[in-house]
Amino acid sequence: MLASIFLKTVLDRWKGWLIALVSLLGLLVLAMWAYNSIDLGVYAGLPAVYRSIIGISADADVGSLSINALVASYGAMTLAAMAFAMGAASIAGEERKGTLGLLLANPRSRTQVLVSKAAALVLLTTLSVLTLWAGTVATAAVLGVSIAGMDVGALCFHLLLNSLFYGFLALAIGGWTGNRGAAIGTSTAVMVVSFFAVGVLPLIKGATPYLKIFPWHYFTGNDPLLRGVDWGDIGVLFAACVVFAVVAVVGVNRRDLKSQSVGTTMLDRLRSNPMTEKFVGRLAGSARVSGIWAKTASEYQVHLIIAGAAMFLMMGVMLGPLYAAIPAETFAAFDSFPKEMIALFGGGNMTTPEGFYQLETFGMMLPIAVMVVAIAIGAGALAGEESNRTMGLLLANPIKRSRVVLAKAWTMTLFSMLVGFATFAGVSVGSVLGRLGMNIGNIAAACVLGMLVGLVFGTLALALSAGIGNKKTAVFGAIGAGIVLHMFNGLGAISNTVADFVALSPFHYYLGNDPLNNGMDWGNAAVLAAICVLLIGMSVLLFQRRDLQQGD
Amino acid sequence: MSDQAAIQIQGLTKHYGKVRALENLDLDIATGEVFGFLGPNGAGKTTTIRAIMDEIRPTSGSASILGMDTHAKSVQIRRHIGYLPGDLAMYPGLTGKDTLTYFANLRGGVDWGYVAELQDRLEVDLSKKVGDLSSGNRQKIGLIQAFMSKPEVIIMDEPSSGLDPLVQREFQAMMREVADEGRTVFLSSHTLSEVQRVADRVGIIRHGHLVTVETVAALRSKGMRRVELELDAHADATVFEAVPGVSDVSVGNHHVILSFEGQMGELLKVAADRYGIVNISTQEADLEEIFLTYYHDEKAAV
Repeated sequence: MLASIFLKTVLDRWKGWLIALVSLLGLLVLAMWAYNSIDLGVYAGLPAVYRSIIGISADADVGSLSINALVASYGAMTLAAMAFAMGAASIAGEERKGTLGLLLANPRSRTQVLVSKAAALVLLTTLSVLTLWAGTVATAAVLGVSIAGMDVGALCFHLLLNSLFYGFLALAIGGWTGNRGAAIGTSTAVMVVSFFAVGVLPLIKGATPYLKIFPWHYFTGNDPLLRGVDWGDIGVLFAACVVFAVVAVVGVNRRDLKSQSVGTTMLDRLRSNPMTEKFVGRLAGSARVSGIWAKTASEYQVHLIIAGAAMFLMMGVMLGPLYAAIPAETFAAFDSFPKEMIALFGGGNMTTPEGFYQLETFGMMLPIAVMVVAIAIGAGALAGEESNRTMGLLLANPIKRSRVVLAKAWTMTLFSMLVGFATFAGVSVGSVLGRLGMNIGNIAAACVLGMLVGLVFGTLALALSAGIGNKKTAVFGAIGAGIVLHMFNGLGAISNTVADFVALSPFHYYLGNDPLNNGMDWGNAAVLAAICVLLIGMSVLLFQRRDLQQGD
Repeated sequence: MSDQAAIQIQGLTKHYGKVRALENLDLDIATGEVFGFLGPNGAGKTTTIRAIMDEIRPTSGSASILGMDTHAKSVQIRRHIGYLPGDLAMYPGLTGKDTLTYFANLRGGVDWGYVAELQDRLEVDLSKKVGDLSSGNRQKIGLIQAFMSKPEVIIMDEPSSGLDPLVQREFQAMMREVADEGRTVFLSSHTLSEVQRVADRVGIIRHGHLVTVETVAALRSKGMRRVELELDAHADATVFEAVPGVSDVSVGNHHVILSFEGQMGELLKVAADRYGIVNISTQEADLEEIFLTYYHDEKAAV
C-alpha cells in the first residue's frame, strides 16, 4: 500500500463524509425530538403491510423509529452513496480527469494504487459508521430516549458492510471498465432497486424467497437492531466485497488505461453509419449545438432518460398491477383507522390506490427524480462550465450573461416537466393496467406540483451556482436544503410545534392539500412557481455581478 | 497601421484580496497592428485579458475596445472580436465541427468557406471529438474559432502553446494577414521568438506592472550584442560585470559569454588588460536576451 496515495485520497474526501455525517446526526436529533413529543401507541396498531413499507417494526418506540429512519434508511443510503461515489472516483475518476497516467508514471503498480484507494475507502467508511454509532447513542442519552434492548452496534456493523458493498461494487465496475458513469449508475440502480424490493416483496405472496437476490436484504432483512448481528448476512456482504476487490484488481491490470478521452457512445456509432448518418447527425450534431439550451439538453439527456424511465416504469406502470396483486384483506385493518391518524403518516391510506401511489411514488420518489435532473443542470449550468473552463469561451460570443442563465434555466424547467410527464404517463398506465380507476386529472395535478417542488431545488442550485460559482456547493446546498425541508414537512404531521411552521417548507405546497384526491390546488402551484421565478431572477442578478471562475 | 486605438486600457487595476494582480496598467493598441504582450508566468497577462473580456471586473480603471467600454458594451464588443482563452478547454464530447457550429450559431452564422480554408491551413480534422484530440489539435480548433468570423480585433492568450513549428509558422502568417487587412491582433506570450517574428510592438509586463512598450525595431536597435570571448587564462566574472553596459555574464573555463550594449572598445580594453584574447565572436542579440535584460534591470531596481 502507498501511504501517500492513501493519505491524499483520505484528505481529498474527508470533508464530504463529515458534512454527510453532521447532516445525518442533525436530522437524528430533530427526529428523536419530534418523535419524543408524540404518542407512538398508534404505530403498534398499524397493519403489518403498512409498517413493512415505511420500515417500522411492530413494537415501535421513539428510539427504534428514529434510528430506523435515520440510520437504516436515510443514513444507509447516504453512506452507500458516499462510498460508491468514492469507489467510482478511485480508478475511473482519475482516468477521466487524466491524472491516472501521471500517478502511474511513478514506480508504483496499478494494484498498489488500487489497494491504497480501497484502504482509504474502508477507513473513511469505518470512521463514519463509528461516528454515527457514537452519535446515535449520545443523542439518545442526551434527549432521554430509551434504546434499551436495541443493538445499535449490530445495526452499525451491518451498515458498515452494506456501505462497503456499494463502495467496492463501484470500485470493481470502475476498475474493470474505466467508466465512472457506469460505476455510479449501476451502483445507484442496485441500491434503489434493492431498497425498494426489500420494502415491497414481503407484501406479495410467495415472493419472499426472491428477497435473497437483493443486497439490501442482508443489511436490514433480519432486523439487526432488534435481533443483533446476523453472521450469515455479514458473511454474504463480506464475501461480495472480497469478490468485487478481486474483480477490481484483475480488471485494472488487464486493460488499457483510458486517457482523458470521452469514449464512443451509441450515438457516435449511428452517426458514422451511412444508413443512419443523416438523421442521427441532425439529432446528435447540428441540432444539439443549435443553441445554449439545446446543448445543455443534450448534455443532460442521460439524467433525463434514467429519471424518466425509472418514474415511468418502476414508480408508475409496475405499481398498478402490483397493488392489484396485494390481497384486499391485507388492508382490512385500515378501515377501522381514524382519518386523522392516517394523515399522521403522510396521508398514504393504503386501502385506496391513491394512498398507495402517494406513499410509493409521490411522497419521495417524484421530488427526488426531478431534483436529480434539475440540480444536476442547475449546478452544472454555470459553475460546471466555469470549472471546466469553457465559460470564458462561451461568453466571448456576443451574448449576455443573462441569456446563458435563462437558457440553462429553461432546459432545467423543460426537463423537470418531462420527468413529471413520464410520472403522469406511468401512473396513468399503471392505474389502467391494475384497473384502479384513479382520476387522471388528479394524477396530473400531483405530477405538476411534484415537478414544481423539485424545480424549486433545481433553481436553488442554479442560484448558488450563479452566486458562488462552485459546483459542489451548489449540489450539496440544494440537496441538503431538500432533505432538511422534506424532513421538516414530514415532522409537521406528527408534531404540533413543527406544524405551525410547515408553511416554510416547499414540500407543504406539494402534497399538503392531497392533490391525488382533491385535485389541483392552484394557490399551492402559484407559491412554488413564484419561488422558482424568484430564484431564477436572483441567479441572473448574481451571475451578472461577479468575476468568472476558472477551474475548480 | 492607423493611429486610432483598437484597444485602450486606462489605469487597470485588479486586486484579489491582498494579491495585486494588476497595478494601474495603461496601454493603447493601434488599429491594424499585431501587439505582443510579454511576461513570465504569473505576471498579469491573463488577468489583463480576462478583464478586457469582461470575464472579471477590475478593482479600478477601465478599458475600451473599438471605442466601446468593455463592461458596459460587452455584448456589442463581442460581435467584433475573436477570442482564444489561455489554457484552452472546450466541450470534450463535441466534435470540432459541432464546436464551431455551436459558436457560429451564437454569433449568428459564419462563412463556412473561410472555416474550410482555415482548417486546410492548420491541418486539423474536424470530425473527431475534441476530447480525443491532442492538445495541439485542440488548440487549432480554438484558433479557427477565434479567426472564423473575421473579427476586427483578435485577442489571444498564449495562442501557440502545443502547436508544432510548421503550424506555428502558418499561424504567424495568418496573424500578419489579419494586420495587413487593417484588423488588430493582441496576443500574449512568453515565447519571445514568436512575437519577434510577428509583432509590430511589444509590451512587457512584470508583477502586474507594465515595464515598457516598444516597437520590435526599437528594441533591436538598442544595439545589444551577444559577445563570446576565448581567453588564455581562467576568466573572472567580476572583472566583466564591472564594465558599464555588460549584463548576463556566464564564464566557462577559458570562456566568457555576455550581453553588451555600448562601444566595443571599452570591453576589449578591459579584457586585453587582464588576459590574452585568443578568439572573439559577436552577434546581434535576439529579443529574448533583450527581454531578459529588462528583467534583470527591473530586479536590480526592486
